[in-house]
Amino acid sequence: MRTQPDVRAVGTILAATDRSNLKGETGMVDRPRAKWLPFSPWHLLLMPVAIIMLVPLLWVLMTSLETLAQTQHFPPILWPGSFQWSNYPRAWSSVPFGTWFINTTIVTVAVVVSNLLFCSLAAYGFARIRFFGKSVAYFFLLATLMIPVQVVIIPTFLIVKQMHLINTLGALIVPNLANVFGIFLLTQFFRTLPIELEEAARIDGASRLSVLFRIVLPLSLPALATLAVIQFLWTWNDFLWPLVTIYNEKVFTVQLGLMSFQGSHVNDTNLLMAGNVMSMLPMLILFIAAQRYFVRGIATQGLKG
Amino acid sequence: MTDVVFENVTKVFPGPMVAVDDLSLEVGDGEFLILVGPSGCGKSTALRMVAGLEKISSGKIVVGGEVINDIPPKDRDIAMVFQNYALYPHMTVEKNLGFALRQRKTPKDELEQKVHSMSELLGLEQLMKRRPGQLSGGQRQRVAMGRALVREPRVFLLDEPLSNLDAKLRVQMRAELKKLHQRLGITTIYVTHDQVEAMTLGDRIAVLSAGRLQQLGAPQDVYDHPANVFVAGFIGSPPMNLLRGSASGGLIEAGDLRFPRDRVPDGDVVVGIRPEGLQPVGDDDPGPGFEVHVGVVEPLGDEVLVHGTVAARDAGVRIEPEEATLLAEMSDRAAMTVRLEPQMRPREGSTMHLRVEPATVHLFDAASGDAI
Amino acid sequence: MATVAARPQRGAPGFARRALTSDHLAGWLFVLPAVFLVALFSIFPIIWGFILSMQKASLLSPSRPFIGFDNYSRIASDPVARQAAVNSVFYTCLFVPISIIIALFLAIALNQKIRLIRFYRLAVFIPVAVSTIATGVMFMWVFDANFGIANWALGGVGLGPFGWFDSPSGAMPSLVIMTVWGWLGFDAIIYLAALQGVPHELVEAASVDGASHWTIFRNVTLPLLGPATLLLVVWSTISAVQLFDEVFFITHGGPLGRTSVPVFYIYKLAFTSSYGFSAAGYAAALAYVLFVVILILTLVQFWLGNRVVHYSS
Repeated sequence: MRTQPDVRAVGTILAATDRSNLKGETGMVDRPRAKWLPFSPWHLLLMPVAIIMLVPLLWVLMTSLETLAQTQHFPPILWPGSFQWSNYPRAWSSVPFGTWFINTTIVTVAVVVSNLLFCSLAAYGFARIRFFGKSVAYFFLLATLMIPVQVVIIPTFLIVKQMHLINTLGALIVPNLANVFGIFLLTQFFRTLPIELEEAARIDGASRLSVLFRIVLPLSLPALATLAVIQFLWTWNDFLWPLVTIYNEKVFTVQLGLMSFQGSHVNDTNLLMAGNVMSMLPMLILFIAAQRYFVRGIATQGLKG
Repeated sequence: MTDVVFENVTKVFPGPMVAVDDLSLEVGDGEFLILVGPSGCGKSTALRMVAGLEKISSGKIVVGGEVINDIPPKDRDIAMVFQNYALYPHMTVEKNLGFALRQRKTPKDELEQKVHSMSELLGLEQLMKRRPGQLSGGQRQRVAMGRALVREPRVFLLDEPLSNLDAKLRVQMRAELKKLHQRLGITTIYVTHDQVEAMTLGDRIAVLSAGRLQQLGAPQDVYDHPANVFVAGFIGSPPMNLLRGSASGGLIEAGDLRFPRDRVPDGDVVVGIRPEGLQPVGDDDPGPGFEVHVGVVEPLGDEVLVHGTVAARDAGVRIEPEEATLLAEMSDRAAMTVRLEPQMRPREGSTMHLRVEPATVHLFDAASGDAI
Repeated sequence: MATVAARPQRGAPGFARRALTSDHLAGWLFVLPAVFLVALFSIFPIIWGFILSMQKASLLSPSRPFIGFDNYSRIASDPVARQAAVNSVFYTCLFVPISIIIALFLAIALNQKIRLIRFYRLAVFIPVAVSTIATGVMFMWVFDANFGIANWALGGVGLGPFGWFDSPSGAMPSLVIMTVWGWLGFDAIIYLAALQGVPHELVEAASVDGASHWTIFRNVTLPLLGPATLLLVVWSTISAVQLFDEVFFITHGGPLGRTSVPVFYIYKLAFTSSYGFSAAGYAAALAYVLFVVILILTLVQFWLGNRVVHYSS
């Protein structure tokens, strides 16, 4: 389920994160450390919080490496001793995880690529070209950010059904080809680029399209990366829409697959957790690798997949 | 033959704000024309209309015999250098120089040859692999010019290209620009608000104010014979001293100053005196002149500037739109700037007697501002 | 000057040529693909949704008789809808303040220049990347009544054991704990971005003026966090009211209907056999009511917030 951003606050935050990528501390003054501790007292708050945040994930990981008997033990076994790595291939082969990963990858890549393209084109139009009806069109687009998913889900289902896309990956791709948030993010970013660069390019003989692809987009890589990772996150983790449109197990996404896997392996906790770890792994890796873009993307829109 | 002709060109921005008002002007083939004026006078807008970056509200611009109003910028074959250079930050110097040629699908070897000879001309050979962020101000300036000139445009436009450089570099680049123009002979329009650039660079200068053409002519002519009070106050640094005065029966009066001048109709006039038009003389000098109360003395090495006041009323001519004139209008003394020989050093707070050569005094009609 | 404004005049052929070469066409060509897609999948559905809400509609049958506002009047006397509303209010009132207050303090801590800060940030942010279903699988295990680590840890300090998702009174608080875990990183990032937007000069000026650390925080930093707080309150409320994934996956609205929430009910009405796939029109009406409620909540929050919050620019 996706919550859409408030536009005004987004602008402020976009500006704030453009200046800094949440690197060092600002807004606080350095002060000498308290004398009564050999380390900063902030650790007393942060260390327990970090543990609480990480323990569920780590315990899932541990459970995924235990034998079934070990999982059914109280008090819980926090360190299984010998690791049952075979849980992973067993979980992988007991349900079509491979197909689900491929499906989700196809959908996610298609949606991310098409969003980068369509949002760039539209954002350039809105940011830089003066044309009749622009502000009205832009206003209507932004207004759709206010619409909650459940209001449009039934009619959108009917539209997709009319297109004979139910139970196909197309049902997951086509309605998400262009996202208003992406248009908004890129429009705001393009407006911050010096317009002289584009004017210079146009005088140098570049068409509008060529200005966009040769000047604007190469200078917008941080914004494009931000949009890409956030769109990736939404699409990969989306649940309600696939739930409504996909019934055939062969067309499942990872999320639907994980749900069905959980239903069929309620008592095989170790396999279930192995499947869970596998389902999370791609996003976790991407998140750690591209953390700054996630942070910027979330700070910009504050959405969660 | 590439001349640029403005025919009754007007630009109205939404507001409505008239940025350029009925501008008619011809720039000859190979000429170096300076568009000069205070900020907001419409000079940049005029230039941007030639480039195609602003639509022309009415009138037309003709380049090489062809009306270009509706031609998109990419097809005009006009090059432009921006105030902040607008170098593409993600491309190397080499790529920047070649960008326009690549847009035109120039064959590779021709492109390389042209980029190479341009880099030689501007002394950029060592910098070809660098990006704009790694260049100094002067180097960026050179790349910006090279990028514009490499495709041998019909018209070369420059929008305050030297204003981001420090003073020393500006002098150097000014000379280089002039040499470059002499060598390439491209029709050039150059926008500036800088006095020295206006006086030294161009074949002719066009002075603009509030969107209107005030005067067009060779720099020295404009300096010697300003067409109106605006041009008089704008061209020249320090600017001409402008006082309120009156004419009656062939006698001109402004404060202490009194001298005869033929064929001047009776009425209010503005009296203009260049800072160098005042000669220090003894107290008993009989000629027309002023008593100047010396306020501030600025020794500049090759000359001395004296800022003082005289018993007269300031004409209150506004040059820069934001310039405050209230003080001068309220006071019964007018500011007066005097340029003296370097060895002169009047004491601050003293009084000087200065003589004015009547022939060098400029007279303007007080109502219309036009020269008499 | 003013006389010039009326000058431009165009002949008809000139106008046509201008339209073709002008920016108007180019602009529309650039935005058209995206505008078309958004119109088809957002603007058109919202209109159709309203029409559906006045029909007796099923997703299976093409016949949809018009019944006016009957669907809307049915809501008032629907005990399931009322229970969903009560549950939703309960969840929202717990989730919004808890998540935001924790996030505020956490963000301040995460804004310190201390060792391990990158690790701490990663630990807090990482749930952002975990899907709701994966979170659900994880917390069903953490909160397992027999073998779960939560009961074990709380038992160590003499609490529990708890039934968590299986207990009628505990299910909703368990959902709150789980979703707070999932949202903390998101909220903290927003707050952290706002903290970093606090201008250095303001803080420095205050400290030069002799203000203590607490005074600076209270009088400089905290007021500047107003917009972020307002944003988070509005946002968290919107998403709390739209709670679905976790309820659908973990509790199925139970036990005893104690976690049944509006979107879950809408889903069941429209897309499941519980109501014979026949209640899409009624579901659309409920969705519209929910939309209006969200809209009103948002406007009220912004209206209240703007009386308290100062925007710096």
